[in-house]
Amino acid sequence: MSEVEHKETPVENEEKEYVEDGKNKFIVKCKFCGSRILDKKSAKYITLEKDLPLMQQDNNRKEGEIQNEPVNEFYHVENMYTFENIGFTHTVANCKYLSCADCDAGPVGYYDNDTKHSYVAISRIVHA
Amino acid sequence: MAKTYDYLFKLLLIGDSGVGKTSILFRFSEDAFNISFISTIGIDFKIRTIDLDGKKVKLQIWDTAGQERFRTITTAYYRGSMGIMLVYDVTNEKSFENIKNWIRNIEENASADVEKMILGNKCDLEAKRQVSKERGEQLAVEYQIKFIETSAKDSLNVESAFYTLARDIKAKMEKKQEASNPAGARTGGHQLRNEPQRKPTSWLSRCSLL
Repeated sequence: MSEVEHKETPVENEEKEYVEDGKNKFIVKCKFCGSRILDKKSAKYITLEKDLPLMQQDNNRKEGEIQNEPVNEFYHVENMYTFENIGFTHTVANCKYLSCADCDAGPVGYYDNDTKHSYVAISRIVHA
Repeated sequence: MAKTYDYLFKLLLIGDSGVGKTSILFRFSEDAFNISFISTIGIDFKIRTIDLDGKKVKLQIWDTAGQERFRTITTAYYRGSMGIMLVYDVTNEKSFENIKNWIRNIEENASADVEKMILGNKCDLEAKRQVSKERGEQLAVEYQIKFIETSAKDSLNVESAFYTLARDIKAKMEKKQEASNPAGARTGGHQLRNEPQRKPTSWLSRCSLL
Protein backbone atom coordinates (compact mmCIF):
# COMPACT_ATOMS: atom_id res chain seq x y z
CA MET A 1 0.00 0.00 0.00
CA SER A 2 1.42 3.34 -0.97
CA GLU A 3 1.85 6.21 1.39
CA VAL A 4 -0.60 9.00 0.95
CA GLU A 5 -0.95 12.44 2.31
CA HIS A 6 -4.00 12.75 4.49
CA LYS A 7 -4.86 16.14 3.25
CA GLU A 8 -8.49 16.95 3.66
CA THR A 9 -10.17 19.08 1.11
CA PRO A 10 -13.24 20.81 2.45
CA VAL A 11 -16.16 20.75 0.09
CA GLU A 12 -16.94 24.31 -0.78
CA ASN A 13 -19.72 23.90 -3.25
CA GLU A 14 -22.00 21.06 -2.48
CA GLU A 15 -21.73 19.69 -5.96
CA LYS A 16 -22.13 16.11 -4.74
CA GLU A 17 -25.73 15.12 -4.28
CA TYR A 18 -24.79 12.72 -1.49
CA VAL A 19 -22.98 15.38 0.56
CA GLU A 20 -24.69 17.83 2.88
CA ASP A 21 -22.84 20.21 5.22
CA GLY A 22 -19.66 18.34 4.34
CA LYS A 23 -21.08 15.06 5.60
CA ASN A 24 -22.78 11.99 4.19
CA LYS A 25 -26.35 13.02 3.50
CA PHE A 26 -27.59 9.43 3.37
CA ILE A 27 -27.16 6.13 5.19
CA VAL A 28 -24.10 4.23 3.94
CA LYS A 29 -24.74 0.59 3.13
CA CYS A 30 -22.90 -2.44 1.77
CA LYS A 31 -23.20 -2.69 -2.02
CA PHE A 32 -23.76 -6.42 -1.88
CA CYS A 33 -25.90 -7.21 1.14
CA GLY A 34 -27.26 -3.83 2.25
CA SER A 35 -25.75 -4.06 5.74
CA ARG A 36 -25.80 -0.64 7.39
CA ILE A 37 -22.28 0.74 7.71
CA LEU A 38 -22.79 4.38 8.71
CA ASP A 39 -25.73 6.43 9.86
CA LYS A 40 -26.48 9.54 7.86
CA LYS A 41 -24.46 12.65 8.66
CA SER A 42 -21.96 10.73 10.74
CA ALA A 43 -18.84 11.06 8.56
CA LYS A 44 -16.98 13.83 6.75
CA TYR A 45 -16.66 13.85 2.98
CA ILE A 46 -13.05 14.13 1.87
CA THR A 47 -11.00 13.61 -1.23
CA LEU A 48 -7.60 11.97 -1.12
CA GLU A 49 -5.63 9.70 -3.43
CA LYS A 50 -5.29 6.19 -2.14
CA ASP A 51 -4.64 2.82 -3.77
CA LEU A 52 -6.99 0.16 -2.45
CA PRO A 53 -6.85 -3.57 -3.28
CA LEU A 54 -9.67 -4.66 -5.58
CA MET A 55 -12.63 -6.32 -3.91
CA GLN A 56 -12.40 -9.23 -6.31
CA GLN A 57 -8.86 -10.17 -7.18
CA ASP A 58 -8.27 -11.98 -10.46
CA ASN A 59 -7.73 -15.68 -9.72
CA ASN A 60 -5.16 -15.83 -12.51
CA ARG A 61 -2.98 -13.12 -11.04
CA LYS A 62 0.61 -13.92 -10.12
CA GLU A 63 1.11 -15.44 -6.71
CA GLY A 64 1.48 -12.82 -4.02
CA GLU A 65 0.43 -10.06 -6.37
CA ILE A 66 -2.25 -7.66 -5.18
CA GLN A 67 -4.34 -5.79 -7.70
CA ASN A 68 -5.03 -2.21 -6.67
CA GLU A 69 -7.05 0.66 -8.01
CA PRO A 70 -6.84 4.33 -7.09
CA VAL A 71 -9.74 5.64 -5.03
CA ASN A 72 -10.20 9.33 -4.33
CA GLU A 73 -13.48 9.99 -2.53
CA PHE A 74 -13.94 8.90 1.07
CA TYR A 75 -16.01 9.35 4.18
CA HIS A 76 -13.68 10.16 7.03
CA VAL A 77 -14.62 8.55 10.37
CA GLU A 78 -12.58 9.79 13.33
CA ASN A 79 -13.95 7.44 15.97
CA MET A 80 -14.39 3.79 15.03
CA TYR A 81 -17.44 3.48 17.27
CA THR A 82 -19.25 5.80 14.90
CA PHE A 83 -19.67 2.79 12.62
CA GLU A 84 -22.94 0.93 12.78
CA ASN A 85 -21.55 -2.36 11.47
CA ILE A 86 -18.05 -2.93 10.13
CA GLY A 87 -15.19 -5.41 10.16
CA PHE A 88 -11.50 -4.60 10.69
CA THR A 89 -8.90 -6.94 9.21
CA HIS A 90 -5.57 -7.77 10.75
CA THR A 91 -2.94 -5.10 10.21
CA VAL A 92 -1.13 -4.91 6.88
CA ALA A 93 1.54 -2.21 6.45
CA ASN A 94 0.26 -0.16 9.37
CA CYS A 95 -3.35 -0.18 8.27
CA LYS A 96 -6.40 -2.36 8.66
CA TYR A 97 -8.85 -2.83 5.83
CA LEU A 98 -12.54 -2.30 6.45
CA SER A 99 -15.02 -4.99 5.41
CA CYS A 100 -18.76 -5.48 5.54
CA ALA A 101 -19.70 -6.94 8.92
CA ASP A 102 -22.39 -9.11 7.37
CA CYS A 103 -21.05 -10.46 4.07
CA ASP A 104 -17.34 -9.73 4.49
CA ALA A 105 -17.11 -7.89 1.17
CA GLY A 106 -14.14 -5.57 1.05
CA PRO A 107 -11.99 -3.63 1.33
CA VAL A 108 -14.66 -0.96 1.61
CA GLY A 109 -12.01 1.34 3.03
CA TYR A 110 -9.13 1.39 5.48
CA TYR A 111 -8.15 2.31 9.01
CA ASP A 112 -4.91 4.12 9.75
CA ASN A 113 -3.22 2.62 12.82
CA ASP A 114 -1.32 5.86 13.56
CA THR A 115 -4.17 8.33 13.49
CA LYS A 116 -6.85 5.73 14.39
CA HIS A 117 -9.07 7.29 11.77
CA SER A 118 -11.07 5.29 9.22
CA TYR A 119 -11.77 6.06 5.59
CA VAL A 120 -14.72 4.55 3.72
CA ALA A 121 -14.36 4.47 -0.08
CA ILE A 122 -17.47 6.04 -1.59
CA SER A 123 -17.09 4.05 -4.81
CA ARG A 124 -17.41 0.83 -2.81
CA ILE A 125 -20.62 1.49 -0.90
CA VAL A 126 -24.19 2.54 -1.73
CA HIS A 127 -26.28 5.33 -0.28
CA ALA A 128 -29.79 4.77 0.99
CA MET B 1 -20.86 16.23 19.11
CA ALA B 2 -23.60 14.27 20.78
CA LYS B 3 -22.88 10.74 21.77
CA THR B 4 -24.55 8.41 19.36
CA TYR B 5 -24.79 5.31 21.52
CA ASP B 6 -25.65 4.32 25.07
CA TYR B 7 -23.30 1.43 25.73
CA LEU B 8 -20.10 0.02 24.33
CA PHE B 9 -19.17 -3.57 25.18
CA LYS B 10 -15.96 -5.35 24.29
CA LEU B 11 -16.52 -9.08 23.73
CA LEU B 12 -14.06 -11.91 23.12
CA LEU B 13 -14.44 -15.25 21.37
CA ILE B 14 -12.37 -17.92 23.09
CA GLY B 15 -11.94 -21.66 22.60
CA ASP B 16 -9.73 -24.27 20.97
CA SER B 17 -8.45 -23.91 17.47
CA GLY B 18 -10.90 -25.15 14.85
CA VAL B 19 -14.11 -24.82 16.85
CA GLY B 20 -15.43 -22.17 14.47
CA LYS B 21 -14.73 -18.92 16.32
CA THR B 22 -13.67 -17.26 13.12
CA SER B 23 -16.83 -18.44 11.34
CA ILE B 24 -18.90 -16.96 14.13
CA LEU B 25 -17.23 -13.64 13.47
CA PHE B 26 -16.53 -14.05 9.80
CA ARG B 27 -19.07 -15.67 7.52
CA PHE B 28 -16.82 -16.63 4.65
CA SER B 29 -18.08 -20.17 4.27
CA GLU B 30 -21.12 -19.67 2.09
CA ASP B 31 -20.92 -16.43 0.22
CA ALA B 32 -19.24 -15.21 -2.91
CA PHE B 33 -16.36 -13.56 -1.14
CA ASN B 34 -14.59 -16.63 0.10
CA ILE B 35 -11.78 -16.07 -2.35
CA SER B 36 -11.63 -12.39 -1.68
CA PHE B 37 -8.72 -10.34 -0.51
CA ILE B 38 -10.33 -9.93 2.92
CA SER B 39 -10.48 -13.64 3.72
CA THR B 40 -6.77 -14.05 3.07
CA ILE B 41 -5.91 -11.39 5.64
CA GLY B 42 -8.54 -12.33 8.19
CA ILE B 43 -10.72 -10.28 10.50
CA ASP B 44 -9.30 -8.87 13.72
CA PHE B 45 -12.56 -7.56 15.18
CA LYS B 46 -15.99 -6.32 14.22
CA ILE B 47 -18.18 -3.52 15.42
CA ARG B 48 -21.89 -4.24 15.52
CA THR B 49 -24.70 -2.01 16.65
CA ILE B 50 -27.74 -3.58 18.27
CA ASP B 51 -30.85 -2.29 19.95
CA LEU B 52 -31.36 -3.59 23.46
CA ASP B 53 -34.60 -2.51 25.09
CA GLY B 54 -34.45 0.86 23.38
CA LYS B 55 -30.75 1.44 24.07
CA LYS B 56 -28.21 1.65 21.30
CA VAL B 57 -25.44 -0.78 22.11
CA LYS B 58 -22.14 -1.04 20.24
CA LEU B 59 -20.44 -4.40 20.40
CA GLN B 60 -16.76 -4.69 19.59
CA ILE B 61 -16.19 -8.40 19.03
CA TRP B 62 -12.66 -9.82 18.95
CA ASP B 63 -11.54 -13.12 17.55
CA THR B 64 -8.64 -14.77 19.34
CA ALA B 65 -7.82 -17.05 16.42
CA GLY B 66 -4.14 -17.85 16.22
CA GLN B 67 -3.40 -17.11 19.87
CA GLU B 68 -5.29 -20.10 21.20
CA ARG B 69 -2.60 -22.46 19.95
CA PHE B 70 -0.66 -21.50 23.03
CA ARG B 71 -3.60 -22.77 25.08
CA THR B 72 -3.73 -19.50 26.88
CA ILE B 73 -4.69 -15.96 26.14
CA THR B 74 -2.60 -13.23 27.60
CA THR B 75 -3.83 -10.72 30.14
CA ALA B 76 -3.46 -7.92 27.63
CA TYR B 77 -6.07 -9.54 25.44
CA TYR B 78 -8.57 -9.77 28.25
CA ARG B 79 -8.05 -6.17 29.33
CA GLY B 80 -11.30 -4.28 29.25
CA SER B 81 -13.34 -7.21 27.99
CA MET B 82 -16.79 -7.32 29.49
CA GLY B 83 -18.10 -10.48 27.89
CA ILE B 84 -16.57 -13.75 26.75
CA MET B 85 -18.03 -16.38 24.44
CA LEU B 86 -16.49 -19.76 25.27
CA VAL B 87 -16.77 -21.82 22.13
CA TYR B 88 -16.40 -25.56 21.66
CA ASP B 89 -17.19 -27.84 18.74
CA VAL B 90 -19.90 -30.45 19.39
CA THR B 91 -18.06 -32.82 17.03
CA ASN B 92 -14.82 -32.53 19.01
CA GLU B 93 -14.75 -34.01 22.52
CA LYS B 94 -11.38 -32.47 23.35
CA SER B 95 -12.58 -28.94 22.61
CA PHE B 96 -15.43 -29.52 25.07
CA GLU B 97 -13.13 -30.84 27.79
CA ASN B 98 -10.91 -27.83 27.29
CA ILE B 99 -13.71 -25.39 28.15
CA LYS B 100 -12.79 -25.96 31.81
CA ASN B 101 -9.21 -24.96 31.05
CA TRP B 102 -10.39 -21.86 29.26
CA ILE B 103 -12.57 -20.93 32.23
CA ARG B 104 -9.53 -21.28 34.48
CA ASN B 105 -7.53 -19.11 32.09
CA ILE B 106 -10.26 -16.48 32.27
CA GLU B 107 -10.37 -16.61 36.06
CA GLU B 108 -6.63 -16.08 36.19
CA ASN B 109 -6.44 -13.29 33.64
CA ALA B 110 -9.73 -11.52 33.07
CA SER B 111 -11.67 -9.18 35.30
CA ALA B 112 -13.57 -11.12 37.96
CA ASP B 113 -16.99 -9.88 36.93
CA VAL B 114 -16.70 -10.59 33.19
CA GLU B 115 -19.92 -12.12 31.79
CA LYS B 116 -19.48 -15.53 30.19
CA MET B 117 -21.49 -17.75 27.90
CA ILE B 118 -20.76 -21.23 26.50
CA LEU B 119 -21.45 -21.97 22.84
CA GLY B 120 -21.58 -25.52 21.45
CA ASN B 121 -20.87 -24.75 17.82
CA LYS B 122 -21.35 -26.84 14.64
CA CYS B 123 -24.66 -28.29 15.89
CA ASP B 124 -25.63 -28.73 12.22
CA LEU B 125 -23.18 -31.69 12.04
CA GLU B 126 -25.48 -34.11 13.87
CA ALA B 127 -23.92 -37.27 12.39
CA LYS B 128 -20.49 -36.34 13.69
CA ARG B 129 -21.59 -35.21 17.12
CA GLN B 130 -19.44 -36.33 20.06
CA VAL B 131 -20.82 -34.05 22.75
CA SER B 132 -24.52 -34.24 23.59
CA LYS B 133 -26.51 -31.11 24.27
CA GLU B 134 -27.19 -32.43 27.79
CA ARG B 135 -23.48 -32.50 28.61
CA GLY B 136 -23.16 -28.91 27.45
CA GLU B 137 -26.08 -27.95 29.66
CA GLN B 138 -24.60 -29.81 32.64
CA LEU B 139 -21.29 -28.00 32.28
CA ALA B 140 -23.09 -24.69 32.10
CA VAL B 141 -25.03 -25.47 35.28
CA GLU B 142 -21.82 -26.50 37.03
CA TYR B 143 -20.23 -23.13 36.29
CA GLN B 144 -23.49 -21.15 36.38
CA ILE B 145 -22.92 -19.85 32.90
CA LYS B 146 -25.53 -19.60 30.13
CA PHE B 147 -25.31 -22.11 27.31
CA ILE B 148 -26.61 -22.40 23.76
CA GLU B 149 -25.83 -24.62 20.78
CA THR B 150 -25.03 -22.73 17.59
CA SER B 151 -24.31 -23.29 13.94
CA ALA B 152 -22.24 -20.52 12.45
CA LYS B 153 -22.67 -22.23 9.09
CA ASP B 154 -26.46 -21.98 9.22
CA SER B 155 -26.39 -18.75 11.27
CA LEU B 156 -28.37 -20.61 13.92
CA ASN B 157 -28.52 -18.95 17.37
CA VAL B 158 -25.37 -16.90 16.75
CA GLU B 159 -27.13 -13.57 16.81
CA SER B 160 -29.32 -14.49 19.74
CA ALA B 161 -26.22 -15.60 21.67
CA PHE B 162 -24.68 -12.14 21.26
CA TYR B 163 -27.94 -10.47 22.28
CA THR B 164 -28.13 -12.66 25.37
CA LEU B 165 -24.56 -11.91 26.42
CA ALA B 166 -24.99 -8.19 25.76
CA ARG B 167 -28.25 -8.09 27.71
CA ASP B 168 -26.58 -9.77 30.69
CA ILE B 169 -23.72 -7.27 30.65
CA LYS B 170 -26.16 -4.39 30.43
CA ALA B 171 -28.23 -5.74 33.32
CA LYS B 172 -25.13 -6.18 35.46
CA MET B 173 -23.99 -2.67 34.65
CA GLU B 174 -27.35 -1.12 35.47
CA LYS B 175 -27.44 -3.00 38.74
CA LYS B 176 -24.03 -1.63 39.66
CA GLN B 177 -25.11 1.89 38.78
CA GLU B 178 -28.19 1.58 40.92
CA ALA B 179 -26.09 0.41 43.80
CA SER B 180 -23.70 3.33 43.51
CA ASN B 181 -26.33 5.92 42.63
CA PRO B 182 -29.58 5.50 44.50
CA ALA B 183 -32.86 6.43 42.84
CA GLY B 184 -33.09 9.72 41.07
CA ALA B 185 -29.39 10.36 40.78
CA ARG B 186 -29.12 9.00 37.26
CA THR B 187 -30.12 10.62 34.04
CA GLY B 188 -31.87 8.62 31.39
CA GLY B 189 -30.24 7.35 28.23
CA HIS B 190 -31.85 9.97 26.03
CA GLN B 191 -30.67 12.84 28.12
CA LEU B 192 -27.22 11.35 28.11
CA ARG B 193 -27.13 11.33 24.35
CA ASN B 194 -27.54 15.06 24.27
CA GLU B 195 -24.70 15.69 26.63
CA PRO B 196 -21.57 17.08 25.09
CA GLN B 197 -19.15 14.26 24.40
CA ARG B 198 -16.43 14.05 26.97
CA LYS B 199 -13.02 12.73 26.12
CA PRO B 200 -12.56 9.61 28.18
CA THR B 201 -9.10 8.09 28.36
CA SER B 202 -10.36 4.68 27.34
CA TRP B 203 -13.54 3.12 26.16
CA LEU B 204 -13.88 1.44 29.53
CA SER B 205 -14.07 4.67 31.39
CA ARG B 206 -16.50 5.88 28.77
CA CYS B 207 -18.80 3.05 29.76
CA SER B 208 -18.52 3.86 33.43
CA LEU B 209 -19.70 7.37 32.62
CA LEU B 210 -23.04 5.97 31.65
